[in-house]
Parts: sequence; structure tokens; C-alpha cells
Amino acid sequence: MTFAIPHGQRLPLAIAGLAFVFLGLFLVYPLVNVFGASFLDAEGTAFTFANYTKMLGRPFYRAAVVNTLEIGVAATLITTVLAVPFAFALARLPIPGKSAILAMASLPLILPSFVSAYALVLLLGRSGIVTQWLQAHGIGFGSIYGMGGIVAVYTLTLYPYVLLPTIAAFKAVDVSMEEAAQSLGSSPGRTVWTVTLPIVLPAILAGGLLVFIETLENFGVPFVLAEDMPIFAVEAFKLFIGETAPNPSSAGVLGVLLILTTTLVLLIQRRFLAHRRFATNARQAPPLLKVGAGVQALATVYCWAVVTLALVPFFSIVVLSFMEFRGPVLHPHFSLDNFAFLFDRALRPLANTLMFATAAALAVTLIGVPVGYVVTRYRSGVASLLDVLATLPFAVAGTVLAIGFIVSFNAGALVLTGGPLILVLAYTVRKVPFAVRSASAIVHQIDVSLEEASVSLGRSPLQTFLRIVVPLMLGGILSGMVLSWVTVASELSATIVLYSGPWSTLTVVMFQALESGGAGIATAAASFLIVVSLLPIALLYRLVRRYELS
Amino acid sequence: MSGIVIAGASRTFGTVRAVDRVDLTVEQGEFFTLLGPSGCGKTTLLRMIAGFTPLDAGEIRFGERRIDRLPAHVRDIGMVFQNYAVFPTLSVAGNVAYGLKARRVPAAEIGPRVEEALAMVQLAGYGGRQPHELSGGQLQRVAIARALVIRPHVLLFDEPLSNLDARLRVSMRSEIRALQKSLGITAIYVTHDQEEAMSVSDRIALMNHGRLEQVGVPEEIYRKPATRFAAEFMGTTNLVEARALGLAAPVWVSLRPEALRFAEEAPVGWPRLPGAVVALEMLGPITRLDVKLENGSVMKMVLLDAPGQIVREGQVVTLAYDPSRLTVVS
Ligand SMILES: Nc1ncnc2c1ncn2[C@@H]1O[C@H](COP(=O)(O)OP(=O)(O)OP(=O)(O)O)[C@@H](O)[C@H]1O
Ligand SMILES: [Mg+2]
Repeated sequence: MTFAIPHGQRLPLAIAGLAFVFLGLFLVYPLVNVFGASFLDAEGTAFTFANYTKMLGRPFYRAAVVNTLEIGVAATLITTVLAVPFAFALARLPIPGKSAILAMASLPLILPSFVSAYALVLLLGRSGIVTQWLQAHGIGFGSIYGMGGIVAVYTLTLYPYVLLPTIAAFKAVDVSMEEAAQSLGSSPGRTVWTVTLPIVLPAILAGGLLVFIETLENFGVPFVLAEDMPIFAVEAFKLFIGETAPNPSSAGVLGVLLILTTTLVLLIQRRFLAHRRFATNARQAPPLLKVGAGVQALATVYCWAVVTLALVPFFSIVVLSFMEFRGPVLHPHFSLDNFAFLFDRALRPLANTLMFATAAALAVTLIGVPVGYVVTRYRSGVASLLDVLATLPFAVAGTVLAIGFIVSFNAGALVLTGGPLILVLAYTVRKVPFAVRSASAIVHQIDVSLEEASVSLGRSPLQTFLRIVVPLMLGGILSGMVLSWVTVASELSATIVLYSGPWSTLTVVMFQALESGGAGIATAAASFLIVVSLLPIALLYRLVRRYELS
Repeated sequence: MSGIVIAGASRTFGTVRAVDRVDLTVEQGEFFTLLGPSGCGKTTLLRMIAGFTPLDAGEIRFGERRIDRLPAHVRDIGMVFQNYAVFPTLSVAGNVAYGLKARRVPAAEIGPRVEEALAMVQLAGYGGRQPHELSGGQLQRVAIARALVIRPHVLLFDEPLSNLDARLRVSMRSEIRALQKSLGITAIYVTHDQEEAMSVSDRIALMNHGRLEQVGVPEEIYRKPATRFAAEFMGTTNLVEARALGLAAPVWVSLRPEALRFAEEAPVGWPRLPGAVVALEMLGPITRLDVKLENGSVMKMVLLDAPGQIVREGQVVTLAYDPSRLTVVS
């Protein structure tokens, strides 16, 4: 027998095979090259640890490690402390306008975080609008540059990572456990502390670790706010692009250290938390707690304050984009000049952004949906390996992946540098984990016997997947695609390494404007990005609503 | 066409022998039931026939044709699932037409065949409905119509009635049997409910720990259980060592409660057993009694209700049993 693969395994193996080829070529191979570069000597021939000893021997790079970790830990802790009471209030207290709060609280996840950082500079930076106004009135305040500002921006843009799963966890708590505790004489406050909180702890920690990873990988926020404070992802970029001589081996060292750290955190998260979910079989969401008017008012103000504060930077950017800038200096008149300038100078990047986002969203969906299906439906070594490989991009900072792409595809059989495809491929790889996760979550909800019924009626597994599974996943596929589209449109860290010539994007325009002080066009680009992010989400929301109503 | 032959079929999950060297022949047109307690391997065996669980060893044939290596979608099977598995994205007619389209039946033929199948399950005129507009019982009818309409070689049912309420279960099971008989399609039916199995089946295979315990027509399995497990699983019984009934042989015997009577109502030839009533349970048409014999063993018996009948706990009675209903079990 030459073909001993059981029939039921052929479709998943075919999907896994294609995914392995794609991820092997555009994820593993570039990463191997980054590792390789970090272990090779100056001639690129002999194996050496010298790059590591050299880099870690320099106080500057040691400081980068310490700063990055410090910022990450601080942002994670503050985010958690901020988000958990918020989640509790939304899940269990009577708060007016809950659905509005929830919708607003998800927005920071889809809006570009470096825009938020940039808004902070425009408002509170050295020559910021608010700063100048305050100075005119003789009021001074601390600098937003450096650790404080970075942590603040991370907190305001990443808190939904903790908030959203924690709300879900609070809602999934079986009330009978709380009732049992209270019947045993525990006060309501003590019950929350001793019974409810431990049950939701895994969700909180899982969200917190996501925040931590995001801070390690982020490039845009420290680039805007760090000034001369060394930060990992930024230094890797500078070393690689370096005005003097591009240095793949030193950049590789930082890249490898970054990957190892994020992978470690991710492993901790998956190993210790994925299986540590406490089984609670809540039949319905627990009832709202009865609290005094004072507590209710306090909780309401708190929730509204957090969501609003997180959106203030984005809102201000939009307002500012309609004002007149002369160089970096703002004049408070209404003006469309910034947009005229943007459409005049940056029409090409604008079109590129839309085009790349569309191409990448389609590619991500085409890969993520079948892979999510396979990793959920099939228990085998191959499926687990695929799962790990499809999650890996999450642990790889955009900057590092991009460096790997350049090292891998600037010569040899497959040359991609200098063209648009390299950007689309990098985006696709970066977003695959999200698409796989969301597809997998939907497949979990689909009863396997539907597929078996279809097969027993004479449809092959592939036809069954296309005719039964895909239609059932359609809503989820669509929203996953829109999310990919939106997040790709505002991608900065890989883009900034990979773009070339005419293939720049809106984020690059903003980045360059930041460096050269062209605040006007930057605010217009940022506004445009914000609108471009919100529009499809709003459309999707209406579409899904209509779909559900019919 | 002819029946289904299963020879030496085995399947192990980790350390669990879910199906252990099963040999079975199901005749063409037969209504055959796999019966057994939870976890005994009924579903696994059914899924082996359907093609969803590969065999570790053994083979399955439809007549002369070996099918256990074929992919599930070419085996020509109609399967009805416990949770209906009606496609929520398709209308009722779309569901029923699904298998016909997969078989590339000409479009002109599909409409009439769908209508005919829906009429058979008493859902004529429901073709345009969406699945979420139907009740559980109606959904299960759609699932049955969908499996019937393709005229498969075999119909497989995995506990198709267990999600329905008790009354509907009773009426649906006789409908399923009537349909199967009128179409003449071989059916293999899985259930853990012995009463359901007895009421629908031509023959029953009783399974335990992945093995066949006994195969036979319902009456035979009920009246002549081969093993202690079979005797107990098929209904309440008295499993006693023969010595407790005053017999010499060192064997276990099964005696159903309805084979016992009070001595005064029993034929003279029946052996007598003196004892005392230790528990009784009046259920309406029948009364269940536990009678403790002098040697300490407790016998269960049932009495049909009768006017003026009075039995009390503690009452001293003499029982008699029908020796022809005594079954030696291994
Ligand atoms: N996919 C599987 N992986 C591991 N073990 C399995 C799998 N399927 C079945 N088993 C085991 O095989 C044994 C037989 O299972 P099966 O589902 O065939 O039982 P069943 O007779 O249908 O029971 P029930 O009446 O509860 O449906 C059980 O011990 C079960 O745990
Ligand atoms: Mg079963």
C-alpha cells in the first residue's frame, strides 16, 4: 500500500501541508536567518557568540533590556489594576450606558497606538498645545517623554486586553458559588474577594500577559515618546536601518532576545493558563449586585472616565487635523489644508494602504480559516504543531519579522525586496494568529455531527467544509476579515522596515512627518486612518445586526 | 443487494477497547439494534460502519463488497444523529435535497422526491420552513427524511429519540419501524433503552465492554438470557444461585419476577418457596414485592392489581415459580 493515509485525515493534512509551506517560507525561514545572523561573525561564515557578548557588554543595550522590561511590567500592572474593577463594574453593577461603554472600550484595540502617542506629543509635548497654554498661565508639569508617557499610552490603548476577557469571566461565574459562600456566612465584599476573584484570575492573568507581550513588541509608541531612552524594538530597527552601516548581526541579537522573551511569556500563558480555567457551569449571567447610590455613582464615573480618557487622544487628533499648521506650530483656525496636502502629496501611500490591507485581509482569511478549522477539529501531532506554528507570529515583533524578510528575500531564488508583495506577505504572517484564533472559536461552536451528516449524505470532507462549515462561519469570517483589514491598515513596525520607493503607506507618511516636523500632514493621515478604521467596523456592525434580524 | 457483515471488528482508544472483535451479520431489510449500557461501544461500532471511526482490525462488508476502507462519503449510508444535525443554513427542503444533490440526481427529480420523503415523515408542506422554526420532534423527522430520501444501503440511527419527550419517543419509534419496513432498507439502531430496543427490533445485539454479549430476537434475549449481564440488563430479574431454590447444580439462574406467584394461585407442579414480604411498592397496574426466603435470599415478584387484593409488609407467604422459566446463566 502506497497511500496509507486514512480518508478522514486527508483534508486536514492537505491544509496543514499548505500552511506549513507558507509559514515555513515566510515565518520560519526569515526567523532562522535572524538567528543565523546573530550567531555569525563579521564575514558571515563562522559561528560565534561574540555578537551576544558584544551587545550585552554595552551598557546602552543592557539599559534597553531593562527599560523595555520595566515599562512592560509597569504597563501590565497598571492596566490590570485599572481594568479589573472596570470589568467587575460592567459585569455586576448597574451602570447606565453599558453597551456604549463596551463598544467604546473595544476601540483602542483597533486604533493605531502610535497615533495616541503622537496625539499626546501634540497636546502635552514640549511645544504641545496644552503645554503652551499652561505655560502662558505659568503652570508647568512633568515631561511626557520617557517611561511615564510610554506607560500611560500603553495603559490607555491596551487595557481592553484585560478588560474584555475579565468581563466575560465575571459573567461566567456561577452565582450558586457566591450564594454558597454567603450562606456560609461570608459578607458580599468578602465573597467577591475570596470566591469570585480567584475564579476570574486566569482570565485576568491571560489578558495581562497579552498586554506585556504587546508592550515588548511595540515600536511606534516608544519611537514617538522614548526620545533618547533605549528601547528594544526601536534599537533593533535603528541598528538594522542604521544611518552608518546596516548591521544585521547586532539587530539579529536584539531580535532573538526579543523573540525569546515573548515566546517565554506566551508559553507561560498557554502552559499555565489555558488549562487552568475553572469550570463553572453558569446557566445564566449572574444578577446585578444591589449597591448604594454612592457606589453606583462612583462606578459609573470611573467607567465613563476610563473609556473617554482612552479616546481623547484620537478625538483630539481628528479635531487638530482640521486646524492650520505652519510647520509644527498650530494656529487655531478651521482649515482643510492638511487634507488638501495629504491628498496632494500622499495619494499614492493612501491608495497603497487600502490596497495592501485588502490583499492581506483576504490572504489572512484564506489561511486562517482552514487552519483554525484543522487545529480545532483534529487532535494529532500535526495539528498541534500547526497550532504552535500559527501562534508563533504573535511572539515575533513586526520589526524583527521584517528584518528577517529583508535578510531572506533580498537575494537568491526569491527576491521580494523593493516590491509591494513583501509588505502584504509580512502583514499576512503577522495577522495569521488572530485569524486562526477567531476561526477556531467559531468552529468550536459548530456541532461536529453537522459535518458528519453531510459526509454520510455523500459530500466529501472538502465539499462539506465549503458547503456546511464555511456558511456557518460566515459572520465570524467577515468580522475577522474586517479586523485584519483595519489592523493591517495601521501597521507600522514591519512597514517601516520593508517599504521602499513608491510602496509606502499612510503610517510611513506619518512616521516621516514626525521626524521632519510636518505635523499638519501627520494629523490628516492619522485622522484618515482613524476614519478608515472605524468605518468598516461600523458597517460590519450594521451588517451583522441586519443578518441576525433576518 | 444483501446484508451487512462485520468480521473481527476492533477499535482501541488509548487503553479502552471500545469495540473488541465483534462478529455480526445483519440481514437485508432487517431492523437490527445495538443495545447496551453507556460506554459499551455501540456508537463506536456504528461509526465504524458509517466510516467516521477507522478499524484497528477486522472488516465490514455490504454483501460481497468490502467497505471499511472506503471514505465515509461514498459508503451509501443514511445516518440519523441524536442531536438531529439538521443544517441550520438550509431550509427543510434544502436539507432533504442535500444528499440527492451530492449524488447529482437530475434537478427535475429532486423536487418530487423531497416532497415524497417529507410526506413519509408527516411533514408534507414544510419544505419552505427554516430549521429554527421547527420543534425537536419535527427536526428529527427532517433528519429521518434526509436519510431516507437517498435510498441508502443502510440506515444508521444513533439514539435518535433520546432528545425527545417520553410520549413522542414512543410514537416516533413505531413510526421509524413502520417506515423502515415499508421501504425495506436495512437499519442499524443504537439505543441504551431495552424497552425501545425490544419494541422496534427484528433482532438485538446486546453489547458490554466492547463485546457482543448475546445476539437474538427480542423474546429470546428477554426469556433466555445467556449471561448474568444479559439477564439483568433486559429487565428486572432474580439472579440467584440454584441452591437458593433448592436445586443441586452449582450454577446461577435467572428467574423473572413475573414467573413467581403466590402458592395458592399457582399450578400444583410448581416448586414452592416459603418466605415473608419485606418491601412492597404499589405502582398502579402492578405491585412490586420483595420476598425474603428462609435461606435469606430476597426474591422480587410482581402482582397484577386485582380488586380486594391485600398484601402487607411482614406477611408470611409461600411463593411458587414456573420451572420452565428458569434460565441458567453464565
Ligand atoms: N474518540 C474517542 N477517543 C477516546 N475514547 C473514545 C472515543 N470514542 C469513544 N471512546 C471510548 O470508547 C468507549 C465506547 O464509547 P462509545 O461512544 O462507543 O459508547 P456508547 O456505547 O455509544 O455509549 P453511550 O450510550 O454513552 O453513547 C468509551 O469508553 C469511550 O470513552
Ligand atoms: Mg453513544
